[in-house]
Amino acid sequence: MDREQVIKALKDSGKWGHKYSFWVVYFCTGCGIIEIPPVITSRWDAERFGVIPVATPRQANLFLITGYVSVKTLRAIIRTYEQMPEPKYTVGFGSCPINGGMYWDSYNTIKHLDKYIPIDGWIAGCMPRPEAIFIAITHLWTMIDKGMANAYKKYRKQYKYYRRNQEMALGELQWPPLYPIDKDE
Amino acid sequence: MYRTPGLETTYFTFLNYPLKLKMDWLSWFFGIAIVSINLFAIIFSLSDMKGKKRLDLFYLLMLLVNAGMLGVVFSGDFISFYVYWEIMSWSTFLLISFKEEGWSAGLKYIILSIIGSFSMLVGMLAIYSNLGTFSIGAIMKEMHYLSTGFTFSILVLFSIAFGIKNALMPLHTWLPDSYTDSEATFTVVLSGMLTRMGVFGFVLILYIIVGLTRFQYIGSGWFSHVLTYLAAISIILATFIALLQDDAKKLLAWHSVGQGGYIILGIAYGTTLGVASGIFHTLNHAIYIALLFMVVGAVELRTGSRDLNALGGLRSRMPVIFYTGLIGIAGFIGIPLTNGFVSKWLLYKTLILNHSPFLAFSALIGTWVTILYGFKFLHNIFLGQIPAKYENVERAPFSMRFPVILLSLAIILFGVLPGIPLRVIGWMQKTMGFEVAKINIWGIVTETGTLNTVNIFFAIMLTVFGIYILYRIGFRSKRVAREDTYAAGHPVPRDKYAYTSEFYAPLFRKIKPIFREWVSIFFEKIVKFGRSLSDRIRKIYVGDLGTYVLYIVLFLAFLLILRMGWNLW
Amino acid sequence: MVILLIVGSIAIGFMVGVLFLGLSRKVKARIHWRYGPPLYQPIIDIVKLFHQESVSHGFLFDFGILLSLGGAIVCLLFIPIGNIIPLQGSGGLLVVLYLMLIAPFGIALSSAEAANPNASIGISRKFILALGYEIPFLLIVLSVMTNYGTTSFVEIVALQRASHWGIISMPLSGIALLLILPAMMGIRPFDQVGAPQEISSGPEVEYGGIYLALSEIQHIYLIFIDIALFVALFMGGSSEPLTFFLKMLPIFLIVILVSTVYPRFRIEQAFSYCIKWPTIIAFLGLLLVIWR
Repeated sequence: MDREQVIKALKDSGKWGHKYSFWVVYFCTGCGIIEIPPVITSRWDAERFGVIPVATPRQANLFLITGYVSVKTLRAIIRTYEQMPEPKYTVGFGSCPINGGMYWDSYNTIKHLDKYIPIDGWIAGCMPRPEAIFIAITHLWTMIDKGMANAYKKYRKQYKYYRRNQEMALGELQWPPLYPIDKDE
Repeated sequence: MYRTPGLETTYFTFLNYPLKLKMDWLSWFFGIAIVSINLFAIIFSLSDMKGKKRLDLFYLLMLLVNAGMLGVVFSGDFISFYVYWEIMSWSTFLLISFKEEGWSAGLKYIILSIIGSFSMLVGMLAIYSNLGTFSIGAIMKEMHYLSTGFTFSILVLFSIAFGIKNALMPLHTWLPDSYTDSEATFTVVLSGMLTRMGVFGFVLILYIIVGLTRFQYIGSGWFSHVLTYLAAISIILATFIALLQDDAKKLLAWHSVGQGGYIILGIAYGTTLGVASGIFHTLNHAIYIALLFMVVGAVELRTGSRDLNALGGLRSRMPVIFYTGLIGIAGFIGIPLTNGFVSKWLLYKTLILNHSPFLAFSALIGTWVTILYGFKFLHNIFLGQIPAKYENVERAPFSMRFPVILLSLAIILFGVLPGIPLRVIGWMQKTMGFEVAKINIWGIVTETGTLNTVNIFFAIMLTVFGIYILYRIGFRSKRVAREDTYAAGHPVPRDKYAYTSEFYAPLFRKIKPIFREWVSIFFEKIVKFGRSLSDRIRKIYVGDLGTYVLYIVLFLAFLLILRMGWNLW
Repeated sequence: MVILLIVGSIAIGFMVGVLFLGLSRKVKARIHWRYGPPLYQPIIDIVKLFHQESVSHGFLFDFGILLSLGGAIVCLLFIPIGNIIPLQGSGGLLVVLYLMLIAPFGIALSSAEAANPNASIGISRKFILALGYEIPFLLIVLSVMTNYGTTSFVEIVALQRASHWGIISMPLSGIALLLILPAMMGIRPFDQVGAPQEISSGPEVEYGGIYLALSEIQHIYLIFIDIALFVALFMGGSSEPLTFFLKMLPIFLIVILVSTVYPRFRIEQAFSYCIKWPTIIAFLGLLLVIWR
C-alpha cells in the first residue's frame, strides 16, 4: 500500500473495511452455487480479496444470489436478507435473477428479483466464470468508494413497496415487517 | 499452641447429672448460619406450602429441626449432644417423608442415621467408661490420658456417624433421594445446614476434643490420609454423577455430596488454611445451595416441572429468579468476586503449597465438572426458546423473591469482603490451637503471596468498564425479538427449536459406563445376597412334622457326639 | 505506572495476536498453494465489524461477551511478557488458571441468550472440550508448581533463567502441553466449537457487527495467552518482550502446521484424545517430578 492509500484508509476507515473484507453468506440458491467452491478454494483464490464464506447472515455483508429463485427459495432469501446487518450488498449472479433466464416462462420461478429485494449489481452469464466474480468484486469496490452501493438504504426507504410485492408473490408472510409501515396509503 | 474451651453453663440437672451448654466461636458461627438458613426457609415456605395439607405438623417439625440443630451446636456434654442429635434426625425423617413419594427416601435416611447414631453412642459410652465424664470441657482436658489406639477407634466410631450425616462416600446413599423427594422448603434446610451438622461433628471431635497435635499422629497419620482420600474420591465421583442427572434437584443433591467432599478434604487436611477453607466453605455452600434450591422450588411452583429436558426459556418470565440463579451458579462454580472462589482458593493454595498435587488435582477437576453441570442447569431452565405451554407463567411470589435476593447479595458481599467471616474463623482457629494468619477485611495475608481480592476486583471491573465504554462508542445495537434468530431462512418452529435434552450427549456416552452409583450397587448386591441366603435358609421349614422330629433327633445326636468328643480331648 | 504497564500490555498482546492471526491465514494459504490475504487482514476485518450494525438479544447477550473479553484481558495482565508484568504477586499461576474459566463461561452466557440450538450445541461442545483439555492441563500445571515449589509466575521465570528451560527439567509435561495446545486454542483438529459447516458457527451464530469483533478479539487474546503460557512455563520466559515473541513464533508455527493438515475431529474423538495420551504423559510427568 502506498501513502495515498494509507491516508484514504485512515480517513474513511469504514469504507476501507467494508471494501476489503466482504463476508459472503454461504447461501446456495440454485445451480449457480456450483461455481462458488472453485472461487473460494485454491485455484481462484478469493481469500486474497478478503472474501470468505460465513455460515450465518448475521455475520455477513455480501449476499450472492446464485441462480434461479423459486417461490420457496424466495422466502428464505427475504428472511436471510432481513437478518443481515447493515450495510449490506447484494449481487445477482447468473441470468435467472435478472429476467428469468432459462426459466423465463415457468410458473414457479421469480422473474425479476429486483422487485423483492434491492440488488446492487448483476453478473450476467449462465454460468459466469470465476473471473467474472472477481471483476464484480472490484466493481463493487468502486461503487462503495463513490458511495453508490446504497441498495440497503433503498430497502429501508421503499419498504412498503417491497413488502407489498413479497406478499403478492408469497401470500401471507410469517414474519412481521422489518421497518414500520403505516397502513394508510 | 494450646486449646481453650469456650464458656460453659449448666442448664438442667437430670438425675443428679449436670447437662451443660457451651458457647465458643465454632458454635456461634454454626448457630448464626443455622438460624439464618432456617429463617429464609420459613419465609420461602409462606408461598411454597400454601394450600398443602397438615401444615401444622410441617411447621412443628421445622421448628423441632431448628431446635435440634441449635441444641447440637450449643451442647456442652455428650448426653445433650446425643439427645439433640436424635431430635434433629427424627424430625428430619418425618419431614423427608412428608410427601407421598418421600417415604422410601426417608426410610433409607433413617436406617443410615440410626446406624450412625448408635456408633456415636458406643463411642460416647466408651469415653465415659474410661474418663468417667460426659462433659466436653472435661474430656478436652483429659483426652491425652487415653492411648492412641483407643483414640483411633473412638475417632473411627465418630467418623462413621458424622460421615453418614455429612454424606461422605461411601456412606452417602441416602442423600440424593432424600433431597429430591422432600418438599422444596425442607430441602433448603436439609442441604443448607442439616447435612453440615456432620461437619460440625468432625470439627468438634477432631480439633476440639482430640486436638490438632494428637490428631496428626493417630494411627501414624493414617487416619487423616484415609479421610482426605475418601473426600477426594467423593468429589470426583459425585461431581461426575451430577453431570449425568436430568432432574434439577437430583443434580443439586449430587453436587452437595461433592461439596461435602471439599469440606471434609479441607478439614481433614489439618493445616490452618485447610480448616479455614473447610469451615468457610460450609457457610458458602449453605448460602448458595439454599439459593439454588429455592430457585428450583420457585420454578417448580410456577411450571410444575423439574425436568431439565423439558423446561426452557423462563428467563423472560421470571427475571428475578433468573438473575439470582445466575449469581448462585457463579458462586457454585467459584467465579472470582463470589464467595465460592475465596473458600476454594484457600483450599487450592494449601493443597498445592503442602505438596499434595493429586488432592489438588481432584479439587480442581471438581470445579471444572461443576462448571459443566452448573451451566446445564442454568441453560436448560432459563435460556433458549420458551416452550408454548410455559408462555404465560407468572412471576415468582414476593416471599420467594425476597430470600433469594438477600442470599445473592450475601454471595457477592462475602466474595468481595471475605474478611468478615474469615475473622471469626481466625478467632475460632486460635481457640483450637492453630497458628492463625493475619486477616484484614480484604483477605488473608500469608507469607507466600496474598489473596488480594480487591486487586482482582478492581482489575476486572476496570477492564469491563473500559470495554463497555468502547462498546458504547461504536454503533448502538438493534434489539431483536427472541424469535428472530437464525433458522436457515425459515421462521423459528415453535417447540422444536431448542437443544436442551441430553445436553452433553457425546460426553455421556463416554463417562456413563464408568461413573455409576457404585456404592448403591454394592449395597443392593449385599441386600440381594442376604435375601437369597435367607430364602435358602427358609427352605428348612417344610411343614412336615416328621422332618421336624428328624431335625430334633439329629441335633440331639450332634450334641451328644460333641459332649463325648470333648471329653476325649 | 501500573496503568501504563496495563495499557501497554493489552496493546502489545493485541498487536502480536493480530500479527499471529494474519500469519496463520497466510501460512495456511501458502500450504494450500494459493496466495492468501495480506498479513493485516484481521485488522481490516475488525475495522469492518466495528462499522457494522449489530443485533442484540438482551442485556445478558451484551454483558456475557464483555465478561469473557474482560476475563481474557485480565488473564493476560498476570502473565509476564518479558519484563512487562503489570499485576504481580497476586497469586500468579493459580489466578491465571482460575481466570481462564471466565472466558468460556462469558461466551456461554452470551450466546445461550441467543435462543438458538446451534449456539447451545456449540456451547456444550465447548464445555466438553474444555473438560477434556483441562484434565491434562491441570496435571501439567501442578507438576510445574510442584517442581518449582511456587505459584508465582515471576519466580518460575526467574528460576528457569537461573538453571535451564522448563522443558528440559520437565520434558514429559512440556510434550503433553504441546499436544493439547491446539485444543486449548480451538484450532483445526479441535475447532468443533465454532464449526461453520456443522453447527453454523456455534456460539457465534447470532453475533454480528461489534459482538463478532469482540469475539474475534477474544480469540486473539486467547491464542496469545495460551502460547505465552507455554513459553513462560517451559521455555524460560525472557527478560525483554522481543525475545519473548521470537520464542512464541516457533510454537505458533508448529500449531498452525498441525492445523492445516488435519481434518476436524468429532467431539467425542477430541475428548477421548485429550484424556488418553496427553493425560497419561502428564500423569507420568507429575510422578516423575514428585519422585525427584
